[in-house]
Amino acid sequence: MAFREKIAWVTLIAMVLAYGVYFGAVVALGENARGPVTADSLWMLWLFAALTIAQLAAIAITSLILSLRSGREARARADERDQAIARRGAAVAYHVLLTGMIVVGVVLPFEASGWRIVNAALFALVLAEFVRHAAVVIGYRRGWHG
Amino acid sequence: MAEAALRNQIRTLRFLAGEMTQAELGERIGVTRQTVAAIEAGKYSPSLEAAFRIARVFGKPLEEVFQWDDSADPAAPPREPRQP
Repeated sequence: MAFREKIAWVTLIAMVLAYGVYFGAVVALGENARGPVTADSLWMLWLFAALTIAQLAAIAITSLILSLRSGREARARADERDQAIARRGAAVAYHVLLTGMIVVGVVLPFEASGWRIVNAALFALVLAEFVRHAAVVIGYRRGWHG
Repeated sequence: MAEAALRNQIRTLRFLAGEMTQAELGERIGVTRQTVAAIEAGKYSPSLEAAFRIARVFGKPLEEVFQWDDSADPAAPPREPRQP
């Protein structure tokens, strides 16, 4: 497995764990997670930030371990296939992010407010990033003819 | 996934070049071993520059290393009959 594919897998797993906790909590809270943004409810943003930092730290540590094991391959610059796969991942994720931002910025304000909009925006960001890394994994697994 | 229309003889040419490894070939053309493996397996179509570099490593013209398979290309135009 290519070093960059391993990193994409690690990132996907870390994202599922970290944001699974956050959005799981949002769903479990029900109406409490959809109300107005108040000082008392800002802990949700702190939770999101803490999980993001924890996820990034886990990815950094795992990447370091993988790079020490991979040796030269980890130090090698991305070749043309790595770059093509990364470009496709970004292109696919762009459409997800664009759709998410249209929903959050144009559609949702007519029928929702407060935390529902905030969480929808966070979900769009997380989903776009997830799709980017998933597209990278698929690019390495299934092949790339671009 | 559509079948690749680009075929190649890299595996055979590596064997004939003293069983050159994928890593050695990758190092000489500036790509990773995994990318050479993907090219060989038809999972990745290399850039024109990489294709020429591969051909130069083996000292062969490009069309001896890579071939276009019309039967696997649904967009291929009908072939013109060859002039005598």
